[in-house]
Amino acid sequence: MELFANLAHGFVVAFSPVNLLMCLIGALVGTLVGVLPGIGTIATVAMLLPITFGLPPVGALIMLAGIYYGAQYGGSTTSILVNIPGEATSVVTALDGFQMAKQGRAGPALAIAAIGSFFAGCVATVLIAVLGAPLTKLALAFGPAEYFSLMVLGLIFAVVLAKGSVLKAIAMIVFGLLLSMVGSDIETGASRMAFNIPELADGLGFATVAMGVFGFAEIIRNLDAGSEMNRDLVQQKITGLMPTRKDIADSTPAIIRGTILGSILGILPGGGAVIASFAAYTLEKKIAKNPSRFGRGAIEGVAAPESANNAAAQTSFIPLLTLGIPPNAVMALMVGAMTIHGIVPGPQVMQKQPDLVWGMIASMWIGNLMLIIINLPLVGIWVRLLRVPYRLMFPSIVIFCAIGIYSVNNAPVDVILAGAFGLIGYWLIKHDFEPAPLLLGMVLGPLMEENLRRALLISRGDWSVFVSRPLSAVLLAIAGGLLVLAVLPALRAKRDEVFVESES
Amino acid sequence: MTDTPNQAPARSILPKWVRGPQDFVGGIVLIGIALFALWASSDLQGMHGFSFGAGTAPRIFAVLLLLLGAAVAVVGVLKDGPHIAAYSWRGPFFVAASIVFFALAIRPVGLVVSAFVSFLIAALGSHETKWLEAIIVGACLTLGCALLFPYVLGLPMPMFPRFLVQ
Repeated sequence: MELFANLAHGFVVAFSPVNLLMCLIGALVGTLVGVLPGIGTIATVAMLLPITFGLPPVGALIMLAGIYYGAQYGGSTTSILVNIPGEATSVVTALDGFQMAKQGRAGPALAIAAIGSFFAGCVATVLIAVLGAPLTKLALAFGPAEYFSLMVLGLIFAVVLAKGSVLKAIAMIVFGLLLSMVGSDIETGASRMAFNIPELADGLGFATVAMGVFGFAEIIRNLDAGSEMNRDLVQQKITGLMPTRKDIADSTPAIIRGTILGSILGILPGGGAVIASFAAYTLEKKIAKNPSRFGRGAIEGVAAPESANNAAAQTSFIPLLTLGIPPNAVMALMVGAMTIHGIVPGPQVMQKQPDLVWGMIASMWIGNLMLIIINLPLVGIWVRLLRVPYRLMFPSIVIFCAIGIYSVNNAPVDVILAGAFGLIGYWLIKHDFEPAPLLLGMVLGPLMEENLRRALLISRGDWSVFVSRPLSAVLLAIAGGLLVLAVLPALRAKRDEVFVESES
Repeated sequence: MTDTPNQAPARSILPKWVRGPQDFVGGIVLIGIALFALWASSDLQGMHGFSFGAGTAPRIFAVLLLLLGAAVAVVGVLKDGPHIAAYSWRGPFFVAASIVFFALAIRPVGLVVSAFVSFLIAALGSHETKWLEAIIVGACLTLGCALLFPYVLGLPMPMFPRFLVQ
């Protein structure tokens, strides 16, 4: 019953006026970001990090969390109405959602997406509350060797689940690890690869790198894609939000399946909302009696991925709050937000900062409720926002990012560094390297180094410690197995490439 | 993103045996980065006894990156892959210029001037920009930021040119 006491405590925290306001702002900003293509969640969270300086830590994290799951909602709205997925997580929703809209069933599609997301949000909230404490206990059994192996596993997961070449994804992770080495050594204080630039003494801020690689690089890329993305809006009149009884009957199992799948993929390191929605859609298509309905307005094709991405967005907080390991790039930025407020993420947070953890968990449920209430009536406004042409949006984003980065440390050098990383990110995109693993590697780098060092110090330089400790050995074995699995089908897929039907 | 116009193997400076130029060049650049990191961390202390020195981890990661970069490049030699995508110069140039201008200008001339001018420089990055519209939106945005950051959020930053304030 400790669980209920904790949740009750969380709701007390979350219902304070300031936190309610933060939750609302987060959810609204998130929806906005989700609606607008061209600014992603990662860039937004990075952009708003400095803004949270002046806030109390609980409020700050509630707001940032709201942005993350709010974006999942917003993305679905535009996917369904205008076939423009504002977020990568909603790409699959557009497949069936837009078809439904074309058939005049935009209302039910939006409603099911919202209901599915809300249901997933509720389940995920409970899941975080239930799993939090036991996982924290597990974390206490972890020594440096286990931590190191767990991070290896997390990084391998990120690689396996990333799209594209496994080799290139690993290369990006290592590049990220290398970037994280810039700055002062934790133990000796020696300056590493900082070239006597004072601003580099503390290392490259990952808000800076994230803003460059995800914010600026994305803008530059969009610009040469012939910026004016195809935006002939087919603005439908949305009549009747209510789904029919058949819709509900069809989508209920899909919502449940999507929620389960999404929750699992969210918890796993390297997972996250994008993969969850793709996986859920594929699953629905595989088990459907009549798969040909998909892509032609099947309501399950909206229900499942929308539930999955929302569930995953929330359960990905579990490894962060319990183990202190961010499972994806957005969570990596949350680490940054926590560090700014002097909170070290990890098992001790649950005990030392119950207000923060439980308040944030409760706020997620409240946030989901707010989203469902706010968003259905506001659909029209969000769609109209899409009419803001990119030629006006992109300079605004550039300036906003630049001011944001400057305000983190009041350092002009940071702004230039972010710009440089923007160009690097543009180059990476051109060579088909994924930037997300880079950021993950960059965040995990210092943690990995520290635990590796400690593990070897304890074992007196014996590298076999990673395989002789059972828990660590299991984690590494899973990582190795996954990697083999990832490489094998890649080989096969390349060979069969000629026959591959074009999907999604 | 589509680079269909120059799919033809024309104007490729790379030798014929490179079958996947995109991967090949990508790998080579990663190797370059790794070598640079090795050089940059060469002055740091390595292992002493069984404990790590400041330079150990950077060198481990750099060597790993070197190997992975080489592997990517080898893949580029052995397997057919996409050509290097066409770069455009306009977007990257003006966006970068706008960022650099902002960084250099924020201290001496303050937020108002630097944000507005940077906005216009960034707007040059698209050939679809309409100037009247851009100036109006830029002015509104500048005003918004000038209120939001220092007043609403309480982040101290210079607002106006130094010589005007004094």
